[in-house]
Amino acid sequence: MSWIGKIRRAGRIVEPAYDAPEATVAPPTGVPGSLQLRHVDCGSCNGCELEITSAFSSVYDAERFGARVVASPRHADGLITTGVVTHNMHQPLLNTLNSVPEPRVVIAVGDCAINGGAFARGYGVVGSVADVIPVDVQVPGCPPTPQQIITALRTVSGR
Amino acid sequence: MTTTLHDSPTVPLPDEGPRAARRVRGQAILSGGLTAVLGAAGVALGLSAIFGEPRHLRIGWLLPLVGVRFDLGPLGGLFVAVTGAVSIAVGVYAVGYAQREHWARFPLVMLPLFVAAMLLVPAAGTVTTFLLSWELMAGASLALVLSEHHREAVRSAGTFYAVMTQLGFAAILLALVVLSAAGGGDAFDTIAAHADGISSGTRTAVYLLTLMGFGSKAGLLPLHAWLPRAHPEAPSPVSALMSAAMVNMGIYGIIRIDLQILGPGPHWWGLTLMIFGAVSAVFGVLQASVATDVKRLFAYSTTENMGLVTLALGAATLLSSYGANLVAAMAMTAALLLILSHASFKTLGFLAAGSVLAATGLRDLDKLGGLARRMPGTTVMFGIAALGASGLPLGAGFVGEWLLLQSLIHSPHDDNTLLALMMPLSVGAVALTTGLGIAAMVKAFGVGFLARPRSAAAEAAREAPASMLTGMTLAAAACMVFAVAPVVLGPLLTQVLAALPTVGGDAAAGPVLGTFLRLPGFAGSTSPGLIAAALVIAVLLALGLTRWGARRRPAAAVAPLWACGADSLSSRMQYTATSFAEPLQRVFDNVLQPDTDVEVTHFAESQYLVEKVTYRALLADPVEQRLYTPVVRAVTTWAQWVRRAHPGSVHLYLAYGALGLLIVLVIAR
Repeated sequence: MSWIGKIRRAGRIVEPAYDAPEATVAPPTGVPGSLQLRHVDCGSCNGCELEITSAFSSVYDAERFGARVVASPRHADGLITTGVVTHNMHQPLLNTLNSVPEPRVVIAVGDCAINGGAFARGYGVVGSVADVIPVDVQVPGCPPTPQQIITALRTVSGR
Repeated sequence: MTTTLHDSPTVPLPDEGPRAARRVRGQAILSGGLTAVLGAAGVALGLSAIFGEPRHLRIGWLLPLVGVRFDLGPLGGLFVAVTGAVSIAVGVYAVGYAQREHWARFPLVMLPLFVAAMLLVPAAGTVTTFLLSWELMAGASLALVLSEHHREAVRSAGTFYAVMTQLGFAAILLALVVLSAAGGGDAFDTIAAHADGISSGTRTAVYLLTLMGFGSKAGLLPLHAWLPRAHPEAPSPVSALMSAAMVNMGIYGIIRIDLQILGPGPHWWGLTLMIFGAVSAVFGVLQASVATDVKRLFAYSTTENMGLVTLALGAATLLSSYGANLVAAMAMTAALLLILSHASFKTLGFLAAGSVLAATGLRDLDKLGGLARRMPGTTVMFGIAALGASGLPLGAGFVGEWLLLQSLIHSPHDDNTLLALMMPLSVGAVALTTGLGIAAMVKAFGVGFLARPRSAAAEAAREAPASMLTGMTLAAAACMVFAVAPVVLGPLLTQVLAALPTVGGDAAAGPVLGTFLRLPGFAGSTSPGLIAAALVIAVLLALGLTRWGARRRPAAAVAPLWACGADSLSSRMQYTATSFAEPLQRVFDNVLQPDTDVEVTHFAESQYLVEKVTYRALLADPVEQRLYTPVVRAVTTWAQWVRRAHPGSVHLYLAYGALGLLIVLVIAR
């Protein structure tokens, strides 16, 4: 029964829930507290992926606020995109966006997704996510912290 | 019986032209129509024997010395009616199938003959008549299996089937000869009347021999090996007849000889039946779930279902030998229902597989797919058959399997170790069988008919002609009746049960097949009709609510298919039958013993880049390999030895004849 002891010793490790930020976009489903997102890596260095992963980890626990990452765009209310858009990922990004039912929301995470960041004007780069598809919410940072990502998600999920 | 196969080096092509087409059309209508008419006569005769007086017919001149005698009672009537019903569907179907496949005259003639022979078997009233009809049936079916004898696979399957069916016949012949000698007569009712006087040693010998002979016909383990060989290679209407009607004759033999005439036997009779049944059911369904050839899959499914029937028969025998008549009647009803439902869905399954085979030339599920758009009628039919075979509610097999499970669960085992051990084990076997059966049928339907075509032949498939669809519709109607309204079978089963006093045939105590299926004396009831009605209402309700909820939504938009970001899907991304069954193959590795081989070829430039991966899997029948190969090898060795006595000298052969005659004369002096 050592695991019970471990639980007791570890105590509560979840980050505290701060007050809800002001909403930027209305929840796409019309229901606050439910935001299903499909993640698209358009050409990221994987730094933003690590931060998104920890935002959904047990420490930051973004699912407390109704945000979830789902496997298929058919199940999603929007996209969460990272990285610059490379030539190889340009068409798949458009395909994925078209597969999300409307109304939908696009969240661009990281400087690369917003303005190209360190990879802007690279030979394999089409542009930033904002150059290719309409973006609703931007999360600046290289990479942004999990807390910043969660705050951005909460402005959409309304929790 | 000796079969001579003429291996013609060139296959005669079907002669084309309007006149030839008209001739084939006329012949097909004649043959199929005759088969259907024979079937209808069988149904009428069977029903009249079940509900009316037993029918008797004696033809003295037909066989020298003994004559031919037919006695049709309720039990035989049931099997005659089932055979007849299967033949009606197959006959109608064969009209279209024979034209599409350009059948030669020979199978067209043999088809009604085969049906006639099968109708005679359950009607036989004496041992000689029974053996004669049995051999007619076996010979006709063998001839039909060999109707495409220009293919090597068919000849090999035919040899296999011929040897096994004749070995089975030899066992039955020996058993029935011993039985009639001990029973003091040739007629079955004479033997039944004197059955009490037969010594227990004779009874045991007859039981074991008939179990072997009839078990091989019913496809029970380990004598099942002819089924997965003969069924795929026979033309599909013949497969349907063999699988839905002929294997029943094995079960009929077991019920008639062992349970009705010789019964009640000792406890171990029921026990052996249960063990053989359970092992056959589990092994059959396991092989079916990994089979990729759709007809081979159905053949193994036949072994599975006959295993379940035998398990139910064994349970009924064992329970009634311990005096639990209520539960025994339940198990016996389950056995009869399983025979009926199996006949309906297996006819439909083989006929639908035949439509696919005629349209695409393919039996391999890994190359099929996408037929739902191209052959909608056949797809619906195959779906009904697959639902029936999976034993779920709304499927034909549900009521029988439910009753079987109920009888096993409700068996009394207060102070009886044997029952307390056997019944839970059997429940486990039946549950495993049903679960794997669902996997096998989902695979057959999903991989074969849904998604995209995996080959050009499947892409070019066309719907079957009207007569084939009509034949299938008849079988599908029977499936739906068994699935939704088993109440119509109530009076029929009561009559048949009453004819089986030794296996819980206390008719008043049998389960009540009403709108609600009730088990007298036990908690537990089900109502397939109400389940179906509830499902229909729920679907309509869901549709209505969705419509109502969507009335204010914007019009639906058309979006491309989601292909994980890629531009389009290809049929190579789909599950195949092999990949679907791979987890099962891995779990049951010890039983199935697959021979798999993965070969990776690298590019010449770099060993880190893979050019192609070849996967080969050979799923042979392990029982066949372990048991049959040594036997065949031993027989071959002996044959080599005996061959030394056949040097080809006529003088020596004449001497053998003279010597033989001399010995006979000395002994018979």
